Amino acid sequence: MFNLDGFGPLLLQGTLVTLQLSLASLAIGLVLGLLGATMKLSRFRLLRALAGTYTAVIRGVPELIVILFIYYGGVILLNNLAHGLGYKGYIDVSGFSAGVIALSLTFGAYATEIFRGGIAAVPGNQIEAARAIGMAQTTIFRRILLPQVWRFALPGLGNVFLVIIKETALVSVIGLDELMRKTDIAVGYTKKPFTFYLFAACIYMVITAITMQMQRQLERRANRGVAGRAGA
Amino acid sequence: MTTPSAVPALEITGLEKSYGTARVLRGIDLTAHAGDVVSIIGASGSGKSTFLRCINMLTTPSKGSIRVAGELIKTRKTPAGLEAADRHQLQRIRSELGMVFQDFALWSHLTVLENVIEGPLRVLGLRRAEAVDRAEDLLAKVGLAEKRNSYPAHLSGGQQQRAAIARALAMEPKALLFDEPTSALDPELVGEVLRVMQLLAEEGRTMIVVTHEMQFARNVSSKVFFFHQGLVEEEGAPEEVFGHPKSDRCRQFLSVH
Repeated sequence: MFNLDGFGPLLLQGTLVTLQLSLASLAIGLVLGLLGATMKLSRFRLLRALAGTYTAVIRGVPELIVILFIYYGGVILLNNLAHGLGYKGYIDVSGFSAGVIALSLTFGAYATEIFRGGIAAVPGNQIEAARAIGMAQTTIFRRILLPQVWRFALPGLGNVFLVIIKETALVSVIGLDELMRKTDIAVGYTKKPFTFYLFAACIYMVITAITMQMQRQLERRANRGVAGRAGA
Repeated sequence: MTTPSAVPALEITGLEKSYGTARVLRGIDLTAHAGDVVSIIGASGSGKSTFLRCINMLTTPSKGSIRVAGELIKTRKTPAGLEAADRHQLQRIRSELGMVFQDFALWSHLTVLENVIEGPLRVLGLRRAEAVDRAEDLLAKVGLAEKRNSYPAHLSGGQQQRAAIARALAMEPKALLFDEPTSALDPELVGEVLRVMQLLAEEGRTMIVVTHEMQFARNVSSKVFFFHQGLVEEEGAPEEVFGHPKSDRCRQFLSVH
């Protein structure tokens, strides 16, 4: 169907980088989101303020600026820091790590809000029952809260992850060889923009379709025991 | 029945609780010996549920002291009232006090069996096989053996409450706290829960029961407390409180319940 003019392996490499970037950002972003949500629900005003600033900034600034800022600004910051500590050489920040940091921060900011809503949705009496039985705070979080937070958070997290998968394309601006940049290269050589952009679009479609399918499976699992009970 | 030992299972003195200027509890003393079944009755808003929740510090009292089997719950004063001074002590004491809630509060992501073994596994550190054995005995006792693998959402209210009782019993508590355990149930389901509670009373378990079930309070308890506006208005053996109430308010309350 597609004549890839020998660019197939190149595009496959790009697809792999896109996948790695997405998955790494998902993993780190989930941790950031949980951390952010716990901070937002904390008793301490400073933690709440920190988390609030984080989500406000990341959600308010275009993703492209965040990526550029972390790539260029991060290099300067890191080197100044290293020189301050007496390091003489030059530290390079790879496009991949800059991309992962930027996308994790983005995913984490949205996940913070989603997890916060999910935690609030777990009935308070179940937390109380756990406290009454003598459970430690961390155990309650891990055993009672988290498994149920998933149930409320999965639809929202799935949505944001789809957005993040597509935003990996933005990381091509800092020269990371992911699918979008490889596609640009192929277009540059072959002068066949329609073929290659359509092909890239299909790849993104396939990745997101698989993601949505996995999300449905996870939701089914998370809803065990409560499915069919409205609002429960 | 267990013979009452010298040290009371529960000893609460001078318990007060205020929300802002509203004084919900105005100095309550209550002592329960091992094997006592204490029913707390009174109108809504009289402070009986708040009092029960203060015993294991789910609600923090403003003043007063709580002793469980002689051990004082360590507290410190804050502007908002008392708070636990030793988190680990509080957690251990809580694990020694089973609590049954009005709205069951089973963990909805866990099956009945998982609900019952969760505390023994995560709080008492029992081995799984041991916890499961214990849970199966208890589920048989409350008549839920065949529902062990069901999720709470698939049970009736009465079944959920019996599962919640099994969950509390699995911790082998020194005393059981019941917070209006039948108030959220359809009338036809109340009996099955009360029967389980009566069985526990006959086993000689120490129980504090906040309830609107006057029959239960009269027939099963060894002591009855009538609360009114945050104070103990009347207390005594059920035959005294129900037969010859001394206070007008108590008499009036009983005449309409």
